[in-house]
Amino acid sequence: MRALVIDDSRTMRRIVAGTLEGLGFETLQAEHGRDALDQLEAGAEVDLACIDWNMPVMDGLEFVTAVRANPAWRAITLMMVTTEAEHSQIVRALAAGAHEYLIKPFTPDAIRDKLDLLGLVPVEELA
Amino acid sequence: MTATVEYDQIHAIAQEVFAAMVDGDLGLLLPWDGDLPDIVDALVAWVDLHGEWSGRAVLVTASDTAHDLARVLLGLDDGDAVSRADLVDAFGEIANVVGGNLKSLLPTPGTLGLPQVGDVLPPLAGAARVQHLPLSWRGRLLVVDVWVTLPTATPEGTS
Repeated sequence: MRALVIDDSRTMRRIVAGTLEGLGFETLQAEHGRDALDQLEAGAEVDLACIDWNMPVMDGLEFVTAVRANPAWRAITLMMVTTEAEHSQIVRALAAGAHEYLIKPFTPDAIRDKLDLLGLVPVEELA
Repeated sequence: MTATVEYDQIHAIAQEVFAAMVDGDLGLLLPWDGDLPDIVDALVAWVDLHGEWSGRAVLVTASDTAHDLARVLLGLDDGDAVSRADLVDAFGEIANVVGGNLKSLLPTPGTLGLPQVGDVLPPLAGAARVQHLPLSWRGRLLVVDVWVTLPTATPEGTS
């Protein structure tokens, strides 16, 4: 499986991508929503996108909305990974089309648990 | 403000952030014990919060401590060089996560600015510092401050 990690912080991209790679994912990275859309429009195929909320150029909510507006990308699972912890923000993201929501800071186990809920943990990891 | 964001809450946020992102264990970010040394060659990271409640979450530490934090976050070995860009990104991200979690404690919704890092903290017009947490990370001083710009901001020490 392949994941696209979208965060303006290289540090956070490294943390999220490292955790996903430990679970068997291949990873791509994008610095903001527009960068991520550019990669998808160029043909990148991903099963999962982990998306920060507050980013320059295009924020995470705009990215989720754009992905959900394109039927060609309907198979992509969208998980917000963000410091936005208020209930109202979680509701906004889920209403826009995000499947899951993970609040920073998080542990590697927390990412794994969310992916498990989404049915995205590779079988060998579950054994 | 001080009725909704207390010292213990901010300390708990900082501890959780360091446990999850840096140390892998709670209890390694403790209240500073003893006299406060001057922070020489300081690095400051902050994130502004906007809305009905406006303010700023600030982290301050010595540059060498910030370098060590960046090495941990970036998976580098002790002594590995850290570029200025990586230093700014890593230290800024810690402030970002602290600020984001602080925002979630506030009674009204708001927005979070992007994290910024510099050698000095620029002034925030009309702001008062309402919390000041000198903490010890592995025996080294790291300060977390919270500033608010509400007209009724309560001065530090009166919470």
